[in-house]
Amino acid sequence: MRDQDANDEMDELIRRSTQVEIPADVEDRLRHRLAEFRTRVEQRPPNRWRSLVYSLTYRPPVRVMAMAAAVLVAVAVGLVLIPREANASRVYAAAAEQLRNAQSIEYSIVLNETPYVGIDFSYAAPGYRRLNCSWGIEVRADHTARKQIVLMHMERMYVAESGKQVEGLANSEDLVEQLLSLPPAAGRVLGERQAGGRRLIGYRLPNATLGASFPGLKSFDMWVDAGTRQADHVDIAIAEQGKPVYQMHIRNIRVNGQVDRSLFDLTPPAGYTVITAASAAANASKTTPQQNALVLQAQIRRSDALNVVLLPMTGSYAQTQAALERVAFYLKTIGMNPAGSPLGRFESEQNWDAGYPVPAGTHVEAPFRFETLPPALVAIVVVNGPWGKDSDARWGAFLKSVVEQGYVPVGQPMEKWTGEDGKVQTQSTEMSIAVTKAN
Amino acid sequence: MKERQQEYERLIAPIEDRMMRAVWRVMRDPNEVEDAFQEALLTVWKRWDRICIHPNPQALVLQISINAAHDALRRKLRHGRLLETDVIPEDIPDASPSAAQGISDAEQETHVLRAIGLLPKKQARAILMHAVEETPYGDIAAAMDCREATVRKHVARARAKLRSLLSHLIPTVHKEESSHA
Repeated sequence: MRDQDANDEMDELIRRSTQVEIPADVEDRLRHRLAEFRTRVEQRPPNRWRSLVYSLTYRPPVRVMAMAAAVLVAVAVGLVLIPREANASRVYAAAAEQLRNAQSIEYSIVLNETPYVGIDFSYAAPGYRRLNCSWGIEVRADHTARKQIVLMHMERMYVAESGKQVEGLANSEDLVEQLLSLPPAAGRVLGERQAGGRRLIGYRLPNATLGASFPGLKSFDMWVDAGTRQADHVDIAIAEQGKPVYQMHIRNIRVNGQVDRSLFDLTPPAGYTVITAASAAANASKTTPQQNALVLQAQIRRSDALNVVLLPMTGSYAQTQAALERVAFYLKTIGMNPAGSPLGRFESEQNWDAGYPVPAGTHVEAPFRFETLPPALVAIVVVNGPWGKDSDARWGAFLKSVVEQGYVPVGQPMEKWTGEDGKVQTQSTEMSIAVTKAN
Repeated sequence: MKERQQEYERLIAPIEDRMMRAVWRVMRDPNEVEDAFQEALLTVWKRWDRICIHPNPQALVLQISINAAHDALRRKLRHGRLLETDVIPEDIPDASPSAAQGISDAEQETHVLRAIGLLPKKQARAILMHAVEETPYGDIAAAMDCREATVRKHVARARAKLRSLLSHLIPTVHKEESSHA
């Protein structure tokens, strides 16, 4: 306390001895100096370089703290971001390795985002493959035995092949060779994006390793689920000389899942007529008796918006009835009556859904989904007869009519079913697809 | 040009009066204060870029002003132009209040300034910033580019030195410290 008093006393003595007013004439002279100084300052050219150099070299405590903060940030970058980059590399490596060693792979290939132009693909080691194209062609191949069967569902015909040509046909379509031989390191990390609550990391693969199998390959981007370290989807851009760039997408990738071995059965379905490979092309252009009998006239019109509850599905379309029953049961449990006929929307066997129209604002829980189908220009036709009968032939005739009228499909095929179950004479199917005027 | 105007308005204009007073309080010589003030302004001019980005630019400018004044005071002391006839007694046997009261206010101011002029630079600048300008220790540390604890140490040492030099002006303190000793 006495030290403090002594300090205060000393400070007071200094203060008292220095607290004097500046004489007016002195103050005037000093102010004159200040005015001159101000003028010089205001005319001083900016010297940003000197400021920058000084800012880097001067070390007051605050700047030391700032530098310390910068060092901490750098350390954080070192500890978090760089490992994050390294982690991203590991995520890719894990996904690529899984694909290289896959015992089975299933996915869909979508061309130019046009859903009906898609391919469902299944692979099972060591060499079984199956392609199911949305345009009615199915290829089943056993590369170990060098055999394959090409099924033309619309024509109800098939071609059985063996020998060298087997590999050629399947490889040109399925992309599996590329997935089974992915490079161990990606070219570069594209970044991250969220999809359905999952964190996806994108990788652009080097063209050098894939370009040989993709003439005109522009980019091959694989997106991997950072959580499961499994490939989620692949976006491919191809720019062949003289042609516009087109996009291919590998979606719904499932690795090492249970694959139905009957998909690879090389036995032709009952009722299919065998043709030779040489005559296949010629026959493909001919109409079958069935198609002669089935001529559909699509109507082009604008559809109304439609509120629906859908159950997302994957796998065989044969599950349609079961899916509709499940939706109907769910609607009943929430005290809701369907507002219209059941419907199905078919992008591919890996991604389709079925459900019922419902009032607007209906709230449902997963896995069910409420959706409002927007108004659109659609091609539509109603076919009387049993539901699902000759579906491929119906769709072939329907799409033929669409194209003949100068339109091209741009949406997913949709069917609505009316009538009573078990009474085929009451049953009818409304087929529709969003279209746009062909150029 | 406008940028410089803004810098001046931000850095100097608010403390113009304090700058002048800081120099005058130490110099107290109408003939020499102008030179000391000009010296301070010249230093500010030279260091303008670093002042602009200093964390406490006004404390730094004040310190520059005090430094200029203190340097001038020391020069004056060296040249024997301050109190050349007055010699501070090394020891005053009679340290009673009545003896201290025998010194006029003007003489006391002169003795204090001379004692400050005898202080080492850093101690003098620290005690002037603290006691006269009443600048917080943190700001003084920023201006002197050192830690706050260092500033406190400079101030404490300055006080101790001043006590010994000005014991005849503060008899009570002197007595108590003598008794402690």
